[in-house]
Amino acid sequence: MAAVAARSAMVLRASINRPVAFVRKIPWTAASSEVREHFAQFGHIRRCFIPFDKETGFHKGFGWVQFSTEEELQNALQQENHFIDGVKWTAKRERPPQVNHRKAAQSHPARSTPPR
Amino acid sequence: MAALLRPARWLLRAGFAPQLPLSLRLLAGGPGRPHAVPCLPAARAGSVAGGLLNPARLYAIAVEKKNDIQEEPTSSLRRTASQFDWALMRLDNSVRRTGRIPKTLLQKVFDNTCHSGIPGGNQALLLLRSCGSLLPELKLTERTEFAHRIWDKLQELGTVYDVSHYNALLKVYLQNEYKFSPTDFLAKMEEANIQPNRVTYQRLIAAYCNVGDIEGASKILGFMKTKDLPVTEVVFSALVTGHARAGDMENAENILTVMKEAGIEPGPDTYLALLNAYAEKGDIDHVKQTLEQVEKSELYLMDRDLLQLIFSFSKAGYPQYASEILEKIKYERRYIPDAMNLILLLVTEKLEDTALQILLACPISREDGLSDFGSFFLQHCVTMNTPAEKLTDYCRKLKEAQMHSSPLQFTLYCALLHNKADLAKALMKAMKEEGFPVRTHYFWPLLVEHQKKKNAQGIIEVLKGMHELGVDPDQETYVNYVFPSFESVKSVHTILQENGCLPKSDTFSQAELRSETVNGNLEYVLSFLKSNTLPFSFNSLRGSLILGFRRITELLYKDGRYCQEPPGPTEAVGYFLYNLIDSMSDSEVQAKEERLRQYFHQLKEMNVKIPENIYRGIRNLLDSHHVPELIKDVYVLVDKEKIDSRKTVQFASSDLESTLERLKAENQPVGDVLKQLILVLCSEENMQKALELKAKYESDMVIGGYAALINLCCRHDNAEEALNLKQEFDRLYSSAVLDTGKYVGLVKVLGKHGKLQDAINILKEMKEKDVLIKDATVLSFFHLLNGAALRGEIETVKQLHEAIMTLGLAKPSSSLCSPLVTVYLEKDDSPAALEATIDCFRKYKILPRIHDVLCKLIEKGETDLIQKAMDFVSQEQGEMTMLYDLFFAFLQTGNYKEAKKIIETPGIRARPARLNWFCDRCITSNQVETLEKLVELTQKLFECDRDQMYYNLLKLYKINGDWKRADAVWNKMQEENVIPREKTLRLLAEILRNSNQEVPFDVPELWYEDEKDSQYSSPSTSPVESDLQKDVLKACQDKNNTDAYDIFLKAQEQNVVFKSKTYNILIKLLLSKECLAQAIHVKDFAETHIKGFTLNDAANSLLIITQVRRDYLKEALTTLETALNLKQIPSKVAVTRLIQAFALKGDVEGIEEIQKMVNGLEDSIGLSNMVFINNIALAQIKNNNIDVAIENIENMLTSENQTVDPQYFGLSYLFRKVIEEQLEPAVEKISIMAERLANQFAVYKPVTDLFLQYVEAGKVDDARALLQRCGAIAEQIPIFEVFLVRNSRKPGKAPTLQSLLGLIPELADKEAAYTSLMKSYALDKDVTSAKALYEHLTAKNVKLNDLCLKRYACLLKNAGEPVPFPEPPESFEFYAKQLKESKENSL
Repeated sequence: MAAVAARSAMVLRASINRPVAFVRKIPWTAASSEVREHFAQFGHIRRCFIPFDKETGFHKGFGWVQFSTEEELQNALQQENHFIDGVKWTAKRERPPQVNHRKAAQSHPARSTPPR
Repeated sequence: MAALLRPARWLLRAGFAPQLPLSLRLLAGGPGRPHAVPCLPAARAGSVAGGLLNPARLYAIAVEKKNDIQEEPTSSLRRTASQFDWALMRLDNSVRRTGRIPKTLLQKVFDNTCHSGIPGGNQALLLLRSCGSLLPELKLTERTEFAHRIWDKLQELGTVYDVSHYNALLKVYLQNEYKFSPTDFLAKMEEANIQPNRVTYQRLIAAYCNVGDIEGASKILGFMKTKDLPVTEVVFSALVTGHARAGDMENAENILTVMKEAGIEPGPDTYLALLNAYAEKGDIDHVKQTLEQVEKSELYLMDRDLLQLIFSFSKAGYPQYASEILEKIKYERRYIPDAMNLILLLVTEKLEDTALQILLACPISREDGLSDFGSFFLQHCVTMNTPAEKLTDYCRKLKEAQMHSSPLQFTLYCALLHNKADLAKALMKAMKEEGFPVRTHYFWPLLVEHQKKKNAQGIIEVLKGMHELGVDPDQETYVNYVFPSFESVKSVHTILQENGCLPKSDTFSQAELRSETVNGNLEYVLSFLKSNTLPFSFNSLRGSLILGFRRITELLYKDGRYCQEPPGPTEAVGYFLYNLIDSMSDSEVQAKEERLRQYFHQLKEMNVKIPENIYRGIRNLLDSHHVPELIKDVYVLVDKEKIDSRKTVQFASSDLESTLERLKAENQPVGDVLKQLILVLCSEENMQKALELKAKYESDMVIGGYAALINLCCRHDNAEEALNLKQEFDRLYSSAVLDTGKYVGLVKVLGKHGKLQDAINILKEMKEKDVLIKDATVLSFFHLLNGAALRGEIETVKQLHEAIMTLGLAKPSSSLCSPLVTVYLEKDDSPAALEATIDCFRKYKILPRIHDVLCKLIEKGETDLIQKAMDFVSQEQGEMTMLYDLFFAFLQTGNYKEAKKIIETPGIRARPARLNWFCDRCITSNQVETLEKLVELTQKLFECDRDQMYYNLLKLYKINGDWKRADAVWNKMQEENVIPREKTLRLLAEILRNSNQEVPFDVPELWYEDEKDSQYSSPSTSPVESDLQKDVLKACQDKNNTDAYDIFLKAQEQNVVFKSKTYNILIKLLLSKECLAQAIHVKDFAETHIKGFTLNDAANSLLIITQVRRDYLKEALTTLETALNLKQIPSKVAVTRLIQAFALKGDVEGIEEIQKMVNGLEDSIGLSNMVFINNIALAQIKNNNIDVAIENIENMLTSENQTVDPQYFGLSYLFRKVIEEQLEPAVEKISIMAERLANQFAVYKPVTDLFLQYVEAGKVDDARALLQRCGAIAEQIPIFEVFLVRNSRKPGKAPTLQSLLGLIPELADKEAAYTSLMKSYALDKDVTSAKALYEHLTAKNVKLNDLCLKRYACLLKNAGEPVPFPEPPESFEFYAKQLKESKENSL
């Protein structure tokens, strides 16, 4: 496992401005609770998803962290280095153009997959 | 520095060549200088591993610029070439970075090569050569098996093997220590009618020697002698090994003496063989002695050689000596990949301890503690089942050495990946002991593996293991990974209890609740919730709950116990639902990611390239307004001038003279005639007469006359007169400007006659009058200066050069500066020449003619000056440049021994530009020996493009028509394991052919117009055949199917058979022209006349499409089957067309048959499962089995094992067909199904697709009714956006878009909506609507993106209307790219 860098980007929701950070290159040793724990220092985490691949049992290295407020998200993005399990990440702040906010957010609400 | 200069020091120690006593000061002065690079971290080491036996530098070839791989099918040859480049690049990169080729990569390249058609000879060579020591992770036997697999498969595919392939195979055998019978091998070659060459014999000798069979080796050696083949060092080295392995060390040592007697100095290879022989006997003393001897003999062993020595020791059971050899390693640039290769090999050979020793000795930067090194080692240890205790120990050592920040975690990862449960457990135990957390999800990969096999016992074992390590499974572990493998949750409970690993916490019961919820065990949930007293996180349950049990929602909302968290009970159920589904599951997150990707993809697709006709339109517009007139004017002017000049020439000088006199006598103006006369005289080069005339009519002279006269005088080298004229001219017309050439002529003639000041004045005037300086002018300056330099006029050169530079008439360049040096070189004054060079560098940062200066200095043995030059160069331009300068100078002057030492400097690497420069120099001046030496000496140069070097050599041989040496190059390339590029092979073939020699390999064909090649490559074809074949190919290229077919018929009549490639091309052409019958005829003919003839992928796909179009479905199915049996990958279009055709016929079996056939190939073809689902349903509906179709679809969308994610469950095709074909009952039932899926299962995709199909079919009322029945459709914005974007690409779709926006008003504000609409209007040239849209958007203050604005602006302009805003200046492409990038960045 090489050095790990996480690039975070905000994904905003159109209806209820939801501050979500997209996190990449999460080391395999960290699962949702570890990532949640890490980001808790920046504020209250409403949700943290790290999708796991049911075929392999490993996660895919990325996930989403949703904060309660925009401010908390900013805190997280402002810190340059993030560490989990002693592995350094760097967080870069990038604001997506408008289309993306909507695009990304809208895949949330209406359709959900029934659990298998 | 020290490292770089080492060989230079050797030069000194060796006393150098007598004429060149370099002093110590030059070369020993190392330590003070900072910028040497003796060792580098792995990432930058960028080297080639050599494998222990195989110099992998053969990969260190700059890959030629890659062509786009996806070219049109006809250019299969070009594709093959780019395929080779691609493969080479992939393998080369891997070797450079990691010292090896992973098996999977080689397999991938191999598969790809197989699919590319007929793999070329060099591709085969590339693959074969990768099967040796570059696969350190494979056991020796596996490597050879791989090589054999490649060999057989490629042969089957039609690759023609030549001697180079057999030699490559031999090399692989040697590297893999494969036991084979050399005589059988020779027999096999003979059978294939391949003549063995020197390299073959050498390798066969090596094969005998490797098993200590001196007798066998001698036999071959004797044979070589009878054939008069030279016995090289390679053979002697092999004999050293042979004697040693036969147990006869004395004779092994004696070989060196024998060699010397034979006039061959033992080189590093021979010594290495001897060293290895000692090492295999564990004789460290002799190894040391020999190493000293090597050093004394001024030979240089590379790190790679030393690494091999370590391997020999270790393998023979003397690992204790590894450290002593390690001390001698110099850590050259390419060390890291070489070391990686050895480490992996050692692990494969179960010598992990030595591997670790080498790993720990690697010079890796450990400052930041962040870059991990050694993962490859750990990973391979895991693969090779190294015991856990050893591995944990290694991890500790790596951590202590600060090489790897998390070795245990990484090793665990590898163990989990390979599902090595015991190892994983041991590692986790170690982690726990070291104080690292052991997390629940570490066990998931293990569970997954058992789950796949439904191995309940295995799962229990894992759970027990977790228990032992004190890790409690969480809910997810149970629900996702444990429960699915058991009959019931109850049974899990019982078994866990029996095994004593049921956790005390209530996790299990909660997991059970969740699982039961999902499985629909309502009673259980109800009773649990009623009886539950424990604190309980509602969040964790609600996702599964709401989906499994809508009925419970009511209960939940009325019961305060479960409503502490938001949303509160007062909220509407709708909102609750919204939130619940919103509280996403894993799969939804994934889906979201996929959606975004899809969106980007569409945006990308939306930005179609701007059509060329727009450009043309703009150009035409401009044309009609301005340009034509201008062109016309210019044209008219040009025409006139022509006529004028013709007139002038008509007059002879004598006529003009009399006219002049007559005019003068009549006292009329004579200016024009005088000028004409002077011009004529000038063109007649009659200076005398012209000057007389000028004196006579002084007062009537005009500018043109003076200019011509001045130039004439310059040409006639009459400086005096030229200057006079110029002064006179200046007096008369002080502001007039001569043309550049005349000024330069003046400067030249004045300079030549020592009138330096006057010359400089002219230069000044040029500057003042701002005379146009062209490239040609600069070249004239050079000739002017160089002329002076050759005449040895130091002052002239200096001052004029100075003036040109200070006036800024030309920029300093090495050519302009070179005369400054040339002038001294001509005078044989080398100190001054060097001074001049250095001076130039100080002034202009240019080192002119340093090579020549150095050569001169070396010839004269000016040690101090060489030293000065080298000091200067290395200080100003770096050591590398200095070394190259010195290297080339030694080569040029024939000091090959010294050159060799320079190029062996550790740390030096190939500089292609410089090497090519010297090659070109040698070629132009026809220095065969120098170039040969260059090629020879650079053999081991790091990253040297060997193929390019040999190519240059061949170029020179071609000039000299020297086929013998060219043939020797072919042998040498094999010996050196160089993979020739096609151009090299072609050049070589050309040389041989020009000398009427047989070409011993398959020549890569050029495109078919190349006459020679096509004739050559099928030597058996008669002229008639090749002519016909050429004609066919030509016709095919011109897409003239009638001619092509006629030629084919003619050939058929004469019973001429073409090559199979030709038939493939012809068939493809015929198919693309819809001539099915003809194509079939050609195919039949080819099949009956060429054994094993098959159509290739593309041709078969085309055949299928054509057959479908003709409605020959059965035949098409057979074609598909044939293609698939040949392991071909038919095109997606072909398969889809066939499936659709079956569907419309209602032929379910047909579709299912295809589904069976392509099973497993879907991804390669790019075929979505939905194609089958849609078309099977359509076929069933066609057969009036509507209910069956609907039931199937519904089952697929609601069952537990979904094969397709509901969001990609696109049924648009089915809906469209059903609506199009007006199958009303089906439409109705489908509609009911879609609504049911939406309302009861929250699957909205089908209903939305149906809705959109209504809209697209113009059935707005139906769409509206559906929307009213199912309001959730309106929320499917992403689906709509996709729909909008897709439809905006087709013309005439604006009404569809409008009606969709009318139905879903919320869409109107979406960027995708209005940009699509704008695009659609632009496509339809609907200015009015576009205007209305723009005004509407501006009124609403919507900011449009640049692409949209650009589109609108162009629409307006084309309609001749003004654009009410500044048009975005860049191209469409630019903005499209910008938009795409900004979207990509946002993720």
